[in-house]
Amino acid sequence: MSEKMLSPLSGKIIKLNTESGASVKEGDEILLIESMKMETPIFAPCTGIVSSINVKEGDNLEDDDLIAIFE
Amino acid sequence: MTAKTHQKELERLKSLQHRAFMGGGEKAIDSRHSKGKLTARERIDLLFDPGSFVELNDLAESQCMDFGMDKRKVPGDGVVIGYGTINGRIVFAYAQDATVLGGSVGTIHGQKICRIMDEALKVKAPLIGLNDSGGGRLHEGFFASKGVAGMFLRNTAGSGVIPQISCIMGPCAGVSVYSPALTDFIIMVDKQSQMVITGPKVIKDVTGETVTLEELGGAHVHSTITGQAHFVAKTDQDSIEMIRNLLSFLPSNHEEMPPTYACTDDPERKNETLTEIVPAEFRRGYDMRQVIAEITDKNEFLEILPKFAKNIITGLARFNGNTVGIVGNQPCVKAGCLDYNSSDKAARFIRFCDCFNIPLVNLVDVPGYFPGVKQEYAGIIRHGAKMLYAYAEATVPKITLALRKEYGGAVMAMCCAGMGVDLMLAWPIAQLVVIDTTAAINIIYRKEIQNADDPESFRKQKIEEYDYKYSNPFHAASNMLVDRIIEPSETRTQIIKGLEMLKNKKRPEPFRRHGNIPL
Repeated sequence: MSEKMLSPLSGKIIKLNTESGASVKEGDEILLIESMKMETPIFAPCTGIVSSINVKEGDNLEDDDLIAIFE
Repeated sequence: MTAKTHQKELERLKSLQHRAFMGGGEKAIDSRHSKGKLTARERIDLLFDPGSFVELNDLAESQCMDFGMDKRKVPGDGVVIGYGTINGRIVFAYAQDATVLGGSVGTIHGQKICRIMDEALKVKAPLIGLNDSGGGRLHEGFFASKGVAGMFLRNTAGSGVIPQISCIMGPCAGVSVYSPALTDFIIMVDKQSQMVITGPKVIKDVTGETVTLEELGGAHVHSTITGQAHFVAKTDQDSIEMIRNLLSFLPSNHEEMPPTYACTDDPERKNETLTEIVPAEFRRGYDMRQVIAEITDKNEFLEILPKFAKNIITGLARFNGNTVGIVGNQPCVKAGCLDYNSSDKAARFIRFCDCFNIPLVNLVDVPGYFPGVKQEYAGIIRHGAKMLYAYAEATVPKITLALRKEYGGAVMAMCCAGMGVDLMLAWPIAQLVVIDTTAAINIIYRKEIQNADDPESFRKQKIEEYDYKYSNPFHAASNMLVDRIIEPSETRTQIIKGLEMLKNKKRPEPFRRHGNIPL
């Protein structure tokens, strides 16, 4: 079963801590989004493998943009 | 005709009561148990203090003889109503019995629920609805609609008079969802309850969308997307425990104060960890729930809608044994900004507290309203106005603490000076400003920056000047916009002292029908 990770807010990715194929644990910090002059960490919603990652550092995200898919 | 004897009539009563007690029969009851569900009566027994529940109208039954109803009707008509005590206080309840004709609302069924609502309103005691019903009973034609409409009328009449709590314990569709929707709180039992206006089949026919009942209106959907379910319970038992716990924070009606409890947590307890929890570096977020846990009485925080609009926190807590309502920005979600959903969530909670004499403690760290086309198109003006309205209207004691950011229009929406706050506190690191300093300087000195020999150093110098003058709580304190700047470690103590000072706050009587809150 795959799980999609969507951006919970709009903002700029200032740090990306994972890559395609990496294994993650639920609660790991996946990326850091800068929005409203604050850094908001986004955590892995589940334990698994990052099957695809759709963003890179410096990207501007909108609400609900697809960040990654976990298997 | 044989002569009456006490014995014979008692036996007749017992036999009728037994039929009522058995509801839809042994097989139906066993089937529920095998799915891990309790019967209506078992739920009632768990809800009330042992032995305190008194059932009313247990022998009322459907008068309908059509479409096979003459053979299928059962005394009680598929709903248990009555009263008893919860933690010693009188509470009224109804519990629908899904073993009897699917818990469907027939004429008598509806009348029974209305009757217990009337009773609760007469004596001004809380009303609990344990909902497990397939909806209106089709066998009885249009008659049942009066009962359903009667529930809406009474739910509304009781709004702000008595606490009303609905527990959704099975599928709940069509008009059945609206009585719970009119009450103060909804608890849904996960995976076994759903709330929808139209089910998957109708949706497929009309719009062509394919969706399951759980995907459409399960507990997950209503607790995270719609904001309809304030709490999610794992099991029947869990949901009943939640009702009892929730009631422990609430008064029985709008004329009473919430119950107080002996507090084992020292009111003078220092909050030494707050400076570790809350970073002085404003770019970094933190979890406001840790602040709440640190300052309130230990293990006495009940978060409401914990998974919906998480950028604002609402919940009931205790300070020195007394109930308060907490509204707090959540800096680790959406930077703690206000948006349309968080405004709705907070406004409704503030009004609930104001109905039931629950003081409000507002924990502020807000960078503003979240910008964007989506927010504007979704009506952030209309939704944001609800929060302003709710705070301005509330006459319960209102204490606001500025922890870090108090920026822009969102400050008013979190109840600041000028919004009728009774006590405005701030930490020394707080910034009470209209907008972020850099943005302010870029506007004020737009021309000067352009014409300066070294625009960057000019800008930097002005930012420093502005920061020193305005980006602090001292300037606000000098203008009486902050009543007291407190050390983080004395947060609990100062809030308790403030609540104590405001305990006898005289609240004016309402002088009008009602206001017209932007909806």
